[in-house]
Amino acid sequence: MKLDGTIAIEAPPRKVWELAINPLRLAGCVPGVQDLRQVDDRTFEGTVTASVGPIDGNFSFQSVVTEATFPDALVVQVQGSDSVTKSRLRMDVRASVAERGPAATDLAYHAVVSVQGRLAILGEMVLRATAGMMIAQVTRCLRSQLEPGVPAAAGSGDASDEPAISMPVPPPVE
Amino acid sequence: MTRGYDLVVVGGGTAGCVLAARASEDPARRVLLLEAGPDPRPIPDVVLDPKRQTELVLETDYVRMYDVERPDGSSFPLLSGRIMGGGSSVNNLVVVRPMRRDFDAWEAFGGPDWSYDALLPLMRSIETDEDFGDSPIHGATGPLVLHRGYKLEDPGDPPVEALIEAAHALGLPSCPDLNVPEPFGICASPYNQVGGKRQSTVVAYLDPARDRANLEIRADTTATRLVLDGARVRGVEIQTAAGGREVIDADEVVLSAGAYHTPQLLLLSGIGGPAALEPHGIPVRHRLDGVGENYQDHAVVYVTFEGTSDLREDYVIPKVRLIARSSDALDHPDLHVFMRPSIRMPGMPPLLPVSIHLLEQRSRGRVSLVSPDPADLPRVEPRLLEDPRDVEAMLDGIALVERLTRQAALARFYGDLVTPASRDEWREHVLTAYDTYHHAVGTARIGAADDPLAVVDPQLRVHGVDGLRIADASVLPVVPHANTNLAAILIAEVAAQELAGVPSAVS
Ligand SMILES: Cc1cc2nc3c(=O)[nH]c(=O)nc-3n(C[C@H](O)[C@H](O)[C@H](O)COP(=O)(O)OP(=O)(O)OC[C@H]3O[C@@H](n4cnc5c(N)ncnc54)[C@H](O)[C@@H]3O)c2cc1C
Repeated sequence: MKLDGTIAIEAPPRKVWELAINPLRLAGCVPGVQDLRQVDDRTFEGTVTASVGPIDGNFSFQSVVTEATFPDALVVQVQGSDSVTKSRLRMDVRASVAERGPAATDLAYHAVVSVQGRLAILGEMVLRATAGMMIAQVTRCLRSQLEPGVPAAAGSGDASDEPAISMPVPPPVE
Repeated sequence: MTRGYDLVVVGGGTAGCVLAARASEDPARRVLLLEAGPDPRPIPDVVLDPKRQTELVLETDYVRMYDVERPDGSSFPLLSGRIMGGGSSVNNLVVVRPMRRDFDAWEAFGGPDWSYDALLPLMRSIETDEDFGDSPIHGATGPLVLHRGYKLEDPGDPPVEALIEAAHALGLPSCPDLNVPEPFGICASPYNQVGGKRQSTVVAYLDPARDRANLEIRADTTATRLVLDGARVRGVEIQTAAGGREVIDADEVVLSAGAYHTPQLLLLSGIGGPAALEPHGIPVRHRLDGVGENYQDHAVVYVTFEGTSDLREDYVIPKVRLIARSSDALDHPDLHVFMRPSIRMPGMPPLLPVSIHLLEQRSRGRVSLVSPDPADLPRVEPRLLEDPRDVEAMLDGIALVERLTRQAALARFYGDLVTPASRDEWREHVLTAYDTYHHAVGTARIGAADDPLAVVDPQLRVHGVDGLRIADASVLPVVPHANTNLAAILIAEVAAQELAGVPSAVS
């Protein structure tokens, strides 16, 4: 699965960059991230919780920043596995910032996600949809953190205390 | 050589279980059923309980995965059952008949024996339809039970009622029985379920036959190739559960290993086209260029809406589906549409996926060998959505779903379309995010002897090879506008009649 896009933010590129390269701050913008720990300069670990059907899953991940050269190369590799199917997921993300005007930045991202294991069966229904919504949430959160006068996005900044909600089984296929 | 059998059925899947049961009704015929997967007795609850279907598919060893690539290099998995009952033991239990136009298409390849009218008596004899059993097109005494947990006139959960209302507002009629020759509209779904438990072809057909002295069943046993003597099949080489190889002598062999493995076994045995065999150093024993060709399936695309409210109804088995036309210009429906359960993550609004299933494939894919090693899964190139008309139909499907969710009744639950987010992303989304309805067919198709891609004749005998038939979804020349399990059962019933020498209804 490939995810490409550009997030327009009304803030200078440096400010956007500084948030993007700070996993502890950035993770606060990603819904569901919990227990983020710094392992070393470049490495962070954490978990994401999600409910798909009756499966309340945890996804444990490790992310390594392999390059951070302002303004055009923030390269991050995320690897992890889910607690239910023990599938392995790898995501290679490349991001850059470009000035779009005075105090206006385009944050471009390109991510390649690959799943090894049964989780791939739910890939298109669950992962892509979740990724799409996560990106929308991250966008809102970045704006609320960086743009003057934008109200805080729901769940932005801190890990939400909203409980994971169980729901009925999605038939993955028919 | 071990002692011989009159008939060896290779593959105890949907069709293989039916055929083994039917063929062993004749006590004089010694039948052996071989299945690569296990035959767990009693059948585990994870298989029987439809509520555990996600767990069955995601967490057990009863499912094989075949990774396939889209043109952009991304991948998705195809699945098949690897357990007695095959697909019928792991699928979603829905029972949908091919439409009349599907039989018309098959008739063009297989002649009048494959017409709707010729096969209607057999279709009726297969089923016990709990709701429409007294209709002249349905059956009330067959082994396969059709159960509708929900009927359109039943009071439903608010989202289901809203869906029905929205469909009506779009001009889609109610379709209480989707197994009529030309179904269309908002339909109640029938399932192979008895007392809340899955009724696979193991339950419906094989179990009642297990005690027969003339039926032997070997599970955990993989057929590795056919044993040929000139143009005649003499038996099957197998790999036993313990890992040894053995040859089983047979007067007649029927391949029911499914649309992926039936062509694989033919190719491993040197039956196929030179282009498919020579790269693997397999000598051509019998040339049949159609083996592995003509692959078809149904593409699926998920689109996701932001939920305005939580849909907490029972989607374990979707109660209703839309059978719709992607374009008003079409004279037949070409889509199934399902509303899917919400996905939830802390800090995000609920996500409401809708799946759009295209019931036609104009391009053709292929199944081929990766290596001459029978343990390697075959390579599958589905080539879904390669034809621009299929892509257009899918795009029209998204537009239809968007219109549906904007109807007042459904707009209570469905907010904006978020994946794909904007209209100019639809095409890319379709081309990079499609996956499958798991309805592979066609890789050893029916056709006349002078048809270069035909593998079997209308009586399901492999062209030019004595003592060999095929009875599974691979013989279908064209993928039906329906889920394929019932079609696989029907093919097995046809094969059983052919083996028994029952004259067909028309010829
Ligand atoms: C996950 C999933 C969900 C589905 N949902 C539905 C649904 O709800 N409704 C519907 O109508 N259709 C559904 N289908 C499709 C339907 O189940 C298939 O079309 C049907 O099972 C095909 O039957 P078959 O007999 O051709 O092959 P299969 O049922 O696949 O049987 C082939 C059998 O052969 C065995 N085998 C393979 N190779 C060998 C070998 N070398 N030696 C011995 N044994 C071998 C396999 O293990 C398998 O048991 C679904 C399919 C899947 C995978």
